[in-house]
Amino acid sequence: MEIYKIKELSFSYPQKDKEALANINLNVERGEFVTVCGRSGCGKTTLLRHLKTVLTPYGKRSGKIYFMGELLEKLEQRVQASQIGYVLQSPDNQIVTDKVWHELAFGLESLGMDNKTIRLRVAEMASFFGIHTWFHKNVTELSGGQKQLLNLASVMAMQPSVLILDEPTSQLDPIAAMDFIETVKKINRELGTTIIMTEHRTEEIIPVTDRLVVMEEGCITADGSPESVGKKLSKEKHPMFFVMTSPMQIYAGVQNKLPCPVSVKDGRKWLDLIAGETEVKKENSRAAYGKSSENTAIEMKDVWFKYRKDMPDVIKGLSLKAGKGQLYCIVGGNGSGKTTALSLISGICRPYRGKILIGGKNTAKMNPEELFYNNLGVLPQNPQALFVKKTVEQDLYEMLSGLKLEKQEKESRIREVVELTELNDLLAMHPYDLSGGEQQKAALAKVLLRKPRILLLDEPTKGLDGCFKEKLAELLKGLTRQGAAVIAVSHDIEFCARHADVCAMFFDGSIITENTAKEFFAGNSFYTTAANRMARHICKNAVTVEDVIELCRKSKCRSNI
Amino acid sequence: MRDAFSDFHPVINFVYFTAVIMSGMFFLHPVLLGISAVSAFTYSVLLNGKRTVKFNVFCLVPMLLFMAVINPAFNHQGRTILFYLKNGNPVTLESILYGAAAAVMFVTVILWFSCYNAVMTSDKFIYLFGRIIPSLSLILSMVLRFVPRYRAQIKVISNAQKCIGRDVSQGNIIKRAQNGIRILSVMTTWALENAIETADSMKSRGYGLPKRTSFSIFCFDGRDKAALAAIIALIAVLLAGSAAGLNTIRFFPSISAARISFFSIGVFCAYLILCMLPVFINIAENIKWKYIKSRS
Repeated sequence: MEIYKIKELSFSYPQKDKEALANINLNVERGEFVTVCGRSGCGKTTLLRHLKTVLTPYGKRSGKIYFMGELLEKLEQRVQASQIGYVLQSPDNQIVTDKVWHELAFGLESLGMDNKTIRLRVAEMASFFGIHTWFHKNVTELSGGQKQLLNLASVMAMQPSVLILDEPTSQLDPIAAMDFIETVKKINRELGTTIIMTEHRTEEIIPVTDRLVVMEEGCITADGSPESVGKKLSKEKHPMFFVMTSPMQIYAGVQNKLPCPVSVKDGRKWLDLIAGETEVKKENSRAAYGKSSENTAIEMKDVWFKYRKDMPDVIKGLSLKAGKGQLYCIVGGNGSGKTTALSLISGICRPYRGKILIGGKNTAKMNPEELFYNNLGVLPQNPQALFVKKTVEQDLYEMLSGLKLEKQEKESRIREVVELTELNDLLAMHPYDLSGGEQQKAALAKVLLRKPRILLLDEPTKGLDGCFKEKLAELLKGLTRQGAAVIAVSHDIEFCARHADVCAMFFDGSIITENTAKEFFAGNSFYTTAANRMARHICKNAVTVEDVIELCRKSKCRSNI
Repeated sequence: MRDAFSDFHPVINFVYFTAVIMSGMFFLHPVLLGISAVSAFTYSVLLNGKRTVKFNVFCLVPMLLFMAVINPAFNHQGRTILFYLKNGNPVTLESILYGAAAAVMFVTVILWFSCYNAVMTSDKFIYLFGRIIPSLSLILSMVLRFVPRYRAQIKVISNAQKCIGRDVSQGNIIKRAQNGIRILSVMTTWALENAIETADSMKSRGYGLPKRTSFSIFCFDGRDKAALAAIIALIAVLLAGSAAGLNTIRFFPSISAARISFFSIGVFCAYLILCMLPVFINIAENIKWKYIKSRS
């Protein structure tokens, strides 16, 4: 039986001519796991919000939505509240109360259940999600992953028959995100709850999903099992094909008649058949990675740091050297001190031992004017913390307000930066109305106005879709070509593997290993890209999708001979 | 150490603290005052450990002495004149004693409140008042959620602004003020913008439907009933003593208190039991625990 039936749904926001949703027809069967993907701004969120009337945006609408055979708008609010569970993007914003147990009970309180029933439901959910160990805690003590799990559990406590998730893992690190996706899969598998989800992390979500819906410009372009959607998109050479998993992309890059692999596991089997047992000789092209001291932009020398005197050290003897024109990526687990290392460079925290040199000068002896003008630019993890004005343009001018510059000089500088970051169409918008990726760009533009020679980025790809990531990488490469040093802390392994010049692994307060991106990931066996995990038993050095495709073509040629 | 009294139902905790704080404030009879002070001190040390001893000695004792000295300097009532000050005002025995009593009372109440803070956590408070006004309990809970959250966000914004040279710690005084206001303005925009998602999350979980209930994790069991009965009985004895005029003392013009009788001794005992109740409960639990451990 269908749980949702959407018939010819069109929708446009007030004062906008373009339709946000155009003639959508979609049926969702009971118990299905549906993933909706597409670029940001393609209408995914708008579509999902139509599936529950209290969240439906205002605007012009036509078409009909049926929930379990009934018109959704006629359905009683009480039924909708309990039957349709909705989890939003930000882990923090969704939490309403101060205690974990109270948050779990919030929805049930709203439904007016008695104490005894709530107690049972809350207990059930806490055990199912493994929350019982932090049941009595304050919500401020939880990690991001735990918070999002709590949001999911408090929705599930109402026993919905359908669960709608709008990019639930975009603010989480990869490990917490995997945990979350596993839990969602478990709900689908063990409770039979229907799942409708949007997600950017397609590498992880596609292998577990039953059905993939690809949206573009408010329309559905493809709909079906991941394999069939992958086939369709690759046949059309569709730009959305890059959201498919690495094995699927590799499959499409190599001509063959085998079935399409979706997960890394299937990919390895497929690769064995394609490349045969002929193990490609391991090219030992270990390009000697030397550190030249001439071009050093920034250097940390045996830096030690702790937040309070009686607390353990967070940074332990960290030494780091990044050269001019380098994109230097720091990867590593949560709580290993990566972000702290960045705040040490930017002077928010001060080391109690060791030195930090920028262009040979000790940062501790530089005043803020010197440090943050023409020298150091810092892009915070949450770009919203930088915006102060009503429009992007005013915001950019505000950045130059304290400087003694001619008006024309200011204008030309802003024009230059706007061109570089492609902000032209967005200048008149309110910074908060931009999408996550656009906000990132606007914040970057603000920082670039100060002409930094060293740029520090904290999780620059968090919450961005694949398309924006590529654009950001282009932008950063443009900067490094001009001689700037970019240091990025990131969880995004695929991004680092594709674009970084140097990668460093952070563990337990210092850098364990450091190498050029390719060598770095070829040397790791778990902490590496999906493409490398798929192909490393044949060739260690294949790190990106393109590498593996290249590898397959070569071995095919060889086997044909 | 875990406090056994905190595990009782919030109603018990609340009734107990109301009783001891009120009687600590109004009953100035030296015996009662002494009982209250000693119990408050013992319980606060039991609850907060060694740290409190340090605080009590270095902060409360000087405060106590200061107040005891300052009263006779300004208050010249009383019959027994000890000596005269340089400006001709008399210093009386009664005013010294009154000052000492008031100071002890003051310090005792502070100690009781420190215990109250440790025992009556926010969720207990919310639970108690949520019974009376359900919507208030949600508001209180949300306030407790948002205050630390906003504080953390201000830190984030201030750090971000610091990295473009615009924190409150940078520049001259006027610049700093400007920067501070800018940070507040960013904070306001951020709070309003993000509250939309919170509102969505609340609506989506059915907030606003009629007949909302208020859930709590507290149970009122047999142990709580017994404790409540005991506390009420002790308060009744105390009030009877108060009605008979046994609990207070007159300071001016001369000191006079009711004679010690069997009844007044009974009242004192009741007060001692009441004030020491959490301490007794803790000791009893401890002994019981050790006994069970030794048997198993």
